[in-house]
Amino acid sequence: MRSADNGHERISYEKRQAFWDVLESPKVIHLILVFSVLLVLIPIFWEVLTSLKTNDAVYSLNYIPRDPTLSSYYQVLIGERYWKAVFNSLVISTTTTIAVIILSVPAGYAFSRYRFRGDNILFIGVLFSRLFPPIGLIVPYYRIMAWLGLLNSLPGIITAQIYLWLPLMIYIMRNFFMSIPSDLDESARVDGCTRLQAFRKIALPLAAPGVAACAILTFLYSWREFLFSLIVTTDLKSMPISVAVYQFVGDVSVQWASLAAASVVAILPTILVVVFFQRYIVSGLTAGALKE
Amino acid sequence: MNNTTYDTDMSDSKFISANADGPAESTDDDYNVQIRDVTKVFQDQDGNDIVAVDDLNIDIRRGEFLVFVGPSGCGKTTSLRMVAGLETPTEGQIRIEDQDVTGLDPRERGIAMVFQNYALYPHMTVRENMSFPLRIRSYPDDEINERVEHAAEILGITELLDRKPSQLSGGQQQRVALGRAIVREPSVFLMDEPLSNLDAKLRIQMRTELNEIHQRVGKTTIYVTHDQAEAMTLGDRVVVLNDGHLQQIGPPQELYDNPINRFVAGFIGEPPMNFLPSTVHEEGGNYVADGDFFEVTLPDHIAGVLDEWNGPLDQLTFGIRPEDLNNAELLDDEEYAEDRSIRATVKIVEPMGSDRFLTMVPANSETPEFTARVSPESEVEPGDEMTLIANLDKMHLFDDRSGENITY
Repeated sequence: MRSADNGHERISYEKRQAFWDVLESPKVIHLILVFSVLLVLIPIFWEVLTSLKTNDAVYSLNYIPRDPTLSSYYQVLIGERYWKAVFNSLVISTTTTIAVIILSVPAGYAFSRYRFRGDNILFIGVLFSRLFPPIGLIVPYYRIMAWLGLLNSLPGIITAQIYLWLPLMIYIMRNFFMSIPSDLDESARVDGCTRLQAFRKIALPLAAPGVAACAILTFLYSWREFLFSLIVTTDLKSMPISVAVYQFVGDVSVQWASLAAASVVAILPTILVVVFFQRYIVSGLTAGALKE
Repeated sequence: MNNTTYDTDMSDSKFISANADGPAESTDDDYNVQIRDVTKVFQDQDGNDIVAVDDLNIDIRRGEFLVFVGPSGCGKTTSLRMVAGLETPTEGQIRIEDQDVTGLDPRERGIAMVFQNYALYPHMTVRENMSFPLRIRSYPDDEINERVEHAAEILGITELLDRKPSQLSGGQQQRVALGRAIVREPSVFLMDEPLSNLDAKLRIQMRTELNEIHQRVGKTTIYVTHDQAEAMTLGDRVVVLNDGHLQQIGPPQELYDNPINRFVAGFIGEPPMNFLPSTVHEEGGNYVADGDFFEVTLPDHIAGVLDEWNGPLDQLTFGIRPEDLNNAELLDDEEYAEDRSIRATVKIVEPMGSDRFLTMVPANSETPEFTARVSPESEVEPGDEMTLIANLDKMHLFDDRSGENITY
């Protein structure tokens, strides 16, 4: 019965449990949650405050604007370039979402249901493409887009967005389909379905929450994507909102208040999407953890 | 909703009419399903071959209730899935209605299957679940309704038709799964451990109902279970599988009374048969089985077998079922026989109401424990020493080297 620990001063069981009891108490948990929420909200709040100043007033170091003004918003919203950018972003995000869903749902299903030669390697390959820091792919991406003549065009940006988000969505869809018992597809096939019908009539309707989650996430991710869009667009006609906001950063000065106002306006649609669809996002992302 | 006509419609109706023509008087060669020389080899993660089913040959008669039974991993579910078309045999042929279906899709085989987890479609109501096989085959609406209502009536689930599967109890879900199979009017029913998710009481109740439904519907049924009691109670014939090999096939009573080897003897029957190591020698013109703690004179029919037997007499195991060991004190003088007695100590007493299960340990012996199933009047307590009289008409001798029953 003698263990190697004998003779050492060990913290007693009661003391260790007491420590965990404190850590798990509602008060401590709430404190941590409040802290986390503040961590997320404070920069946004700061940005909103900045957007209420004038560009010059930003440099007088007050947190609260002395004379709050909506002039920055006015300046952003009357510009044609802003509305064009919103339109571009809508086109990019919608097209990307549709394409990613069309590709990732069948792919995720195939990875969840079928064993074929090289299936594991292929799946790891899909995930592997997301392991590179995107910045490392910027140069080849630029070269390829230049070669295809897609610089300064919406298809060029959409291609990049699909490349960026497809692997993640394949992964999410695969996990979602894996949470749907394959007995159901097999039963459907015995009942008279072809493999494709079993997918369409049984697995797909059951995966609807997952599909919704993937669609929402893809939309949000491609809406806010900045780096790849910045690389291929210098032109207003194909510029998405994430890049347009950046136009307030000049060579010699930064128009902070305008930048802040434009950012606040740019995140409004995403906030709406999250508020309306959070149910799907949560259920979609946690599906793999639930059994039946 | 679905206006496409599928090829399967034709074969389906053929199956139905074939059944309507003559299921009543089925002859012995009227085989509904034939499994011929079927082998299934899987590859594990490291690419090693695993033989799940090895050279299986079974002919299943029309209207028969055939049960595949064996421990987990014996290949019973794989065999069923090959009949269903959900797995492809590595070698061999599956024939249904005298037609080679080996390469055909499940939907083209005229089968219906009940899965262990019922596999009810969660997004459909009971009615939609049950009608799904008919809707996908574009049956006319009134026929669909008629068949669904009829099946629901047989199963007593009419009032559940508009519920979703999640609103049903396990037993009700089970009935819906059966209903979905019945509406198809398939040539063959396949059932993969359909009762194993139910609690003990419901399982026995559903077992009886399955028997009843089978008698009513009269269709060929292949049923997979790991539970020998289900196999015994349900099967017209039972197939015992172990390690992918067919051990024995026959009516349940035959398997119980006359098991081909030690595996079948130990698998069929609860509590299982006792195996007592022994040697056999000749003594005064009789054969005597000599265990560590008992010595019994073998009856004539066993002696006849031993006369023919060329193997070593000292490598035999004496097999006897618990109910063939009786409490000597409760027997009258005529039944009592010294040369059939086994003496041992009682270790555990389990009263079952109708019988008592006694776990016995032989005194001064390495021989493992064995079980006796004695009458409830036996007043014994743990620690008592008692004499059991063996009914040697029902004994068996197993060859230690092959496990084969030499008295088979």
